[in-house]
Amino acid sequence: MKILKQWFTNKKIVILIVLLIIGGCSMWFVNHNQMFYHDTIAKVTKVATDKPQKQVDTFKNKDQVTQQKLTLHILNGNKKGQDITIKNEYSDSQAADQKYKVNDQIFVKLHHYDGKLGGTIQGFKRDYVLVFLAWIVVCLLMMSMAFKGSMALLSVILNAVLFIFAVKLDLHWQGNHVMAIFGTLAVVFSVLTLLLVLGPSKRMLATLGATILGTGISILISLAVFALTHEKGIYYESMEYVTQVPRPLFLAETLLGSLGAVMDESTDIVATLFELKSIDPNISRGQLFLSGRKVGQSIMGPLVNVLFLIFMTDTFISTLLYIKNGNSWGYTFAMNMSLGTVQSLISGIGIVLAIPVASGLAALLLGRRQSV
Amino acid sequence: MTTITALGLVLLILMLIIGGKQGWKAFMSLILNFGFLFFAVILIAFHVSPFLVTLGIGIVILAITIFMGDDDLLTTQTAFYASLIVLLILLSIIVPIEHFAMVQGFGAEDSDALEGMSLYIGMNFLQISVTTTVLSTLGAIAEASIAISAGLTEVISQHPHLTNRQLMANGMSIGESILGTTFNTLFFGFFGGFLALFIWFMGLNYSFGEIMNNKIFVSELIMIFISFIGVIITIPLTTLVMTHQRHKKFVDND
Repeated sequence: MKILKQWFTNKKIVILIVLLIIGGCSMWFVNHNQMFYHDTIAKVTKVATDKPQKQVDTFKNKDQVTQQKLTLHILNGNKKGQDITIKNEYSDSQAADQKYKVNDQIFVKLHHYDGKLGGTIQGFKRDYVLVFLAWIVVCLLMMSMAFKGSMALLSVILNAVLFIFAVKLDLHWQGNHVMAIFGTLAVVFSVLTLLLVLGPSKRMLATLGATILGTGISILISLAVFALTHEKGIYYESMEYVTQVPRPLFLAETLLGSLGAVMDESTDIVATLFELKSIDPNISRGQLFLSGRKVGQSIMGPLVNVLFLIFMTDTFISTLLYIKNGNSWGYTFAMNMSLGTVQSLISGIGIVLAIPVASGLAALLLGRRQSV
Repeated sequence: MTTITALGLVLLILMLIIGGKQGWKAFMSLILNFGFLFFAVILIAFHVSPFLVTLGIGIVILAITIFMGDDDLLTTQTAFYASLIVLLILLSIIVPIEHFAMVQGFGAEDSDALEGMSLYIGMNFLQISVTTTVLSTLGAIAEASIAISAGLTEVISQHPHLTNRQLMANGMSIGESILGTTFNTLFFGFFGGFLALFIWFMGLNYSFGEIMNNKIFVSELIMIFISFIGVIITIPLTTLVMTHQRHKKFVDND
C-alpha cells in the first residue's frame, strides 16, 4: 500500500482526472454517434419472446431455437423517430445468431411491406466496446509508463496505417505481387518500429539486420521444406476469408505474423550485448556471441508459445464445430489446425534462427578480434 | 513425410543445435501446449463448463510456458504467481466485455466455410468466446512476466539490499524496455493472421463504420486490446510479487 501511495503523486491525479473526463466524453459520443452512420441504426424498446422450440440435429446435438418480436426505435436517417417491429430467431448456442435485449442498438436495412415500414437485422452495434477498451489501454499506459508507452502505441498505430496502405496496394495489383508487397512491407515495418523503439543508432542497425535475416532465412528454409515434401498435408482450401490465390497469401500471413516476435527477440539480444560491451569494453567476439546465445535460449521458448497460442486459438471454434458435426479428429485437425500449426512452426524456426544471427551481428559490430 | 512433420523436425534440430537443453525444453513446451489446447476443445465438446476449462487449461498452459521457459526458481515462481493474478484480473474484464460485444461464434464472412454444417450444436458460444480470448493472451502474459521477473532476479543478485521502492522502479524500467517490442509481437501476431480478412474488407469496400462493428474484426481487436492490457498490468504486478518472493528466498537460504 505504501508503494501505491508513493506512486499516486499530484501529477498522476491530474492526469487521471483528465483521462476520466476524456473517457466519459468518448463513451457518450459512441453511444450518440448514429448521425455519422449511413446505415440505419435502431434501438430495441420492447421484446416479446415466444416459447423455445427444441431442436435435434443429425448428429444428436440438442439445442433450442427461440423467436423474438423486437420493437425498434429508429435513431438516424430520414425515418428517424419511427418505430418498426422485426422478428428475430436465436438458438441457445448463438453461434451465428444472437439474442437481443432492450436498449441494444442494431443496424437494420429498411424496406416497405404493403406500405408498412419493416426491416431486416444487419448486425449489432459494437463500436463502443472497442472505444472503451482502447481507453483502458491508454489510461493504463499513461498512469504507468507515459513516454515509452506512448511510443509503443504510436509504433503500433503507424504499423496499422502502413498495413492498410499495403492491402490497398495489393488490391490495386489484384493480388499479383503479394510476396513482393508484403515482403517490402515487412522491411518497412521493421525499420519504422525499430527507429521508434530504439532511435537511429548502431544498435538499431544490428537489430534490423538480425530481424530481416532471421525472418528471411526461415521463410527460405520453409519454402525448401515445402518443395521437398510437395506440401503434403497443407490444405490451402481450408484457409479462411480468401479472395485471392491462397498460397502466397498464406506465406505473407506467416511472414508478417512472425516478424514482431523475431524483432522482439533480436532487440533483447542486441540490447544485452551492448550492455555487456559498455561494462567491459575489451570483451571478445566469441564471448559476446556466447552471451547472446544464452539470452536467446531463455527467451525463445516463451516467445514461440506466444505466437503458437495466438495462431491456434483462432482455430478453436471451427475445430469445435467440426467435431460436433461428426467429423473425425484427423479430418478436423487437417481442415482447421494444420495451417495454424505450419505457421507456428515456421515462426518458431524464425525465432530460433534469429538467435545466432543477432548474436553474430552484434558480436561482429562490437567485439574485438580474438587475436588482439 | 508430411510438411508439418518435416517442419517440426527442422525446428527440433535447430532448437537442439542453438538452444541445447533449453531448446529441447522449448520444443517440449510447444508440444505440451498443443496437446492441452486440443484437450480443451475436447473437454468443451463433452460439455464441460467452458469457464472451468478456461481456468484449468489456462493455469496449466501458464505453468508449462513459464516453468519450462526458465531454470531459476525465484524467476519462475514469481512469474507464475504474477501471471495467475493477471489471469484472474483479465477474466473479470473479459467476461463483461464479451457479453457487451457479442462477438461469439461466427460472422457473416464465415458463411461459405460453414455451408452444410449444423450450427445448432448446443454449445454456449458466448462462454467459449471468453475461453478463446483468455487462451490467446496467455503466451503474452507468460512471456512478459518471465522477462520482468528474470530481469529483477538479476538485479537482486547483484544488489541484494535494494529497497522495495527501488525494486519497483527497476521493474518499471525493465517493463518500459520490453513494452514496445512486445506490443509489436502481439500486433503482428494477430494482424498477420488476418491479412486475408482485411483484403476481403477492403476489396468489398466495407465502410469504416461497418469494419468497426464487424463481428470478426471486433473480436480480433478485443483480443489485441486484452493482450495489451494483460502485458501492461503484468509489469507492476510481477514486480509487486517479487518484493514478497525475494524475502521468502532469503529465509530458504538461511
